[in-house]
Amino acid sequence: MIAPFDALEPLEAVEMLLALCLTASALVCLFDRHLLRACCFFVAFAASMTLAWWWLEAPWLAAVELVLGVVLTGACFFYALGHVSPGVSSPLERDRFSEPWPRVAMRVFLALAWFVMVGAAIRYVIADMAYSPSQHPLLLAGVVIAASALGAFALHRHLLRRLLAFNILGSGVFMLLAGVAGTSASAQVLISVGLLVAWLGSMLGALLIRQLLHLEGVEALGPDGKSKESAT
Amino acid sequence: MTWRFGLFDSTFEPLASTHWALLAALGLPLLMGMLAALFPPKRAFPVALASLPILVSGWMLLSAYDQAGLLRWQWEIAGILLSLRLNGLSVLLLLMTQVIGVAAALYTPGYLRLSETGPLARWLWPLMGVVLSALSLIWLATDLLTLYLALELMGLAAVGMLLLSGKVPALVAGMRYLLLALVGSLTYLLGVALILGHWGRLDLQGLADVIEPGPVAWFAAALIGTGLALKAALFPLHAWLTPVHESAWTPVSALHAALVIKASLFILLQLWSILLPDTFYAPRVIAWLGLLAIVWGGLLAWRTGSLKTLVASSTVAQLGYLMVAFPLLLGPDVAPLPRALAWEGFWLQLMGHAFAKAAMFMAAGNLILATGESTLKGLAGTSRRLPLSLLVFGVASITLMGLPPSAGFTAKWMLLQAMIITQQWWAVAALLTGTLLTAAYIFRLFRYSFDETAPRHRYQPLAPGMDLIALTLALIAFALGLLAHFPLELMHGGSP
Repeated sequence: MIAPFDALEPLEAVEMLLALCLTASALVCLFDRHLLRACCFFVAFAASMTLAWWWLEAPWLAAVELVLGVVLTGACFFYALGHVSPGVSSPLERDRFSEPWPRVAMRVFLALAWFVMVGAAIRYVIADMAYSPSQHPLLLAGVVIAASALGAFALHRHLLRRLLAFNILGSGVFMLLAGVAGTSASAQVLISVGLLVAWLGSMLGALLIRQLLHLEGVEALGPDGKSKESAT
Repeated sequence: MTWRFGLFDSTFEPLASTHWALLAALGLPLLMGMLAALFPPKRAFPVALASLPILVSGWMLLSAYDQAGLLRWQWEIAGILLSLRLNGLSVLLLLMTQVIGVAAALYTPGYLRLSETGPLARWLWPLMGVVLSALSLIWLATDLLTLYLALELMGLAAVGMLLLSGKVPALVAGMRYLLLALVGSLTYLLGVALILGHWGRLDLQGLADVIEPGPVAWFAAALIGTGLALKAALFPLHAWLTPVHESAWTPVSALHAALVIKASLFILLQLWSILLPDTFYAPRVIAWLGLLAIVWGGLLAWRTGSLKTLVASSTVAQLGYLMVAFPLLLGPDVAPLPRALAWEGFWLQLMGHAFAKAAMFMAAGNLILATGESTLKGLAGTSRRLPLSLLVFGVASITLMGLPPSAGFTAKWMLLQAMIITQQWWAVAALLTGTLLTAAYIFRLFRYSFDETAPRHRYQPLAPGMDLIALTLALIAFALGLLAHFPLELMHGGSP
């Protein structure tokens, strides 16, 4: 099994703390309707991911995460919010789109199904996880984060929040990858490529969001570009 | 099944000239695209000059395969194994990519000149270069890391190309496509993570030896399958496809429908043949979905009022034919003869569809450009004024309908034969229903075009060669059926 996961008692506390930090910041980022706060928590999340890579003895990955995840992807989100180049058009503040209840229930069910499937798959790959799940706090955090991010991705209509959810989902998947496959050279390269793709995608998405705002206003970011805003 | 994808050791080492041809085939499209961004070509002539070395590299790789059989390349960089292979199928798909890519590039200068495309037009060239280079890499790569990298490069560049028209519907559809494609790639990555965690390697040839059926293989196959099906617009996950094509530029639509979605399908079949050899249920599920895709896509195309939606929906239905063949390719207890027939039919159908669909999108683009209308009703009177564009549409639809002697006919004949031998009557029914539906929506279009009572439009004259390029592609699709022995020999070759 992977070395850091079999570490001593005080080290385990650090790992537990990291896992809690990651999960909490991811959940706030995914479910806060205040967009600026959500983006700030995304940066906090990416910073804790950097620490987690450092902790898992993958310094190169930590560097890549710091540059691509924290700095560049974070900048993409603040650009999409309209906080980088002031005076272009009104910055985005809150997500005011709402969803009907049956749809919410459906998406929660989908996220739970996803959670069970990923959890079961991981359980098969790492056999001893079935007996002591608390030994792998980062792996557990990865499963929770990936599941809630996919749920949020399916649930939200606001394009910026979907983009955020995609990024968190990506980080969750990378954490699962590192937890399942360790931090071997191939795993590190796969994760680095994934981070690069996530950054490029976020950049394209941020440019698109800005362009849509410029052409159509906030309504264009809603359900399939049609106006369906609730009465706040 | 895996030997058909060339996952075995080669007899000969590639020659030095073959190394250069490989480098040219992978790198030149990208390089030429960058050059074209710096100096945007205004005529087709410089584009033809630039695409010549690319075609020569493809031809050199073909002759290298003819002489030496399967060729492999392997590099180990810092503990990571990267590997490529060149077998008959990948040569064939590479040549297809190059021909369609060159045709789209030749079509582009005229198209950009005639339509109001705005300042973003010059970025089309490098994006096209990235898509073609990444596609060539996908046909050749045999490790999961290279496949992931190439798939992502291709996907992001394809999204970029589709967005270039800059209209609001294009941006909304493009954003949706971007988000779905990115999530699809994460699902794929999670599947790769399971494979790497359990078997500890990423090269397909090694994996084909060590993978055993079991829960991990099933989970990985499910994750990879979902991600790639989303990118390939396989039936229940196809909803993003039509809006994306609705407002994209013609050469972009042609490249996307002909090649980009096929790449995901290729990877899906290749990985499933390793992860799920001789499985009963998974290919069956795909085939049943394919049956629904044929009917649903056909109905969508039949009911629509927009020309581009018709062509895009027909892609959904045509992918259905490929999905229906999955049990024959991957299922258990299939005799060698029907399996070989299904294998040939599958790739011939894929190639015939690629050429025909590219030609059809170009013909549709020509009609829309000339009449200035994008609805079927707007086609009234075109039979007299734009006979050549309609002829191209007709020749391409012969392949889609599967009338003899086109590639569509030969491919369907093989698939039907394989299905009858294995007594899959429901698949036979699906194939025949699809043919009828295709005929229904194609003839609906021709009925509008022969309407003579419509008021006269002013027709925009097309640039020289725009119809000829489309006609060439449509004729290649036609000829692939007549001269099918050449591609079939290549697909067959290289058995150990």
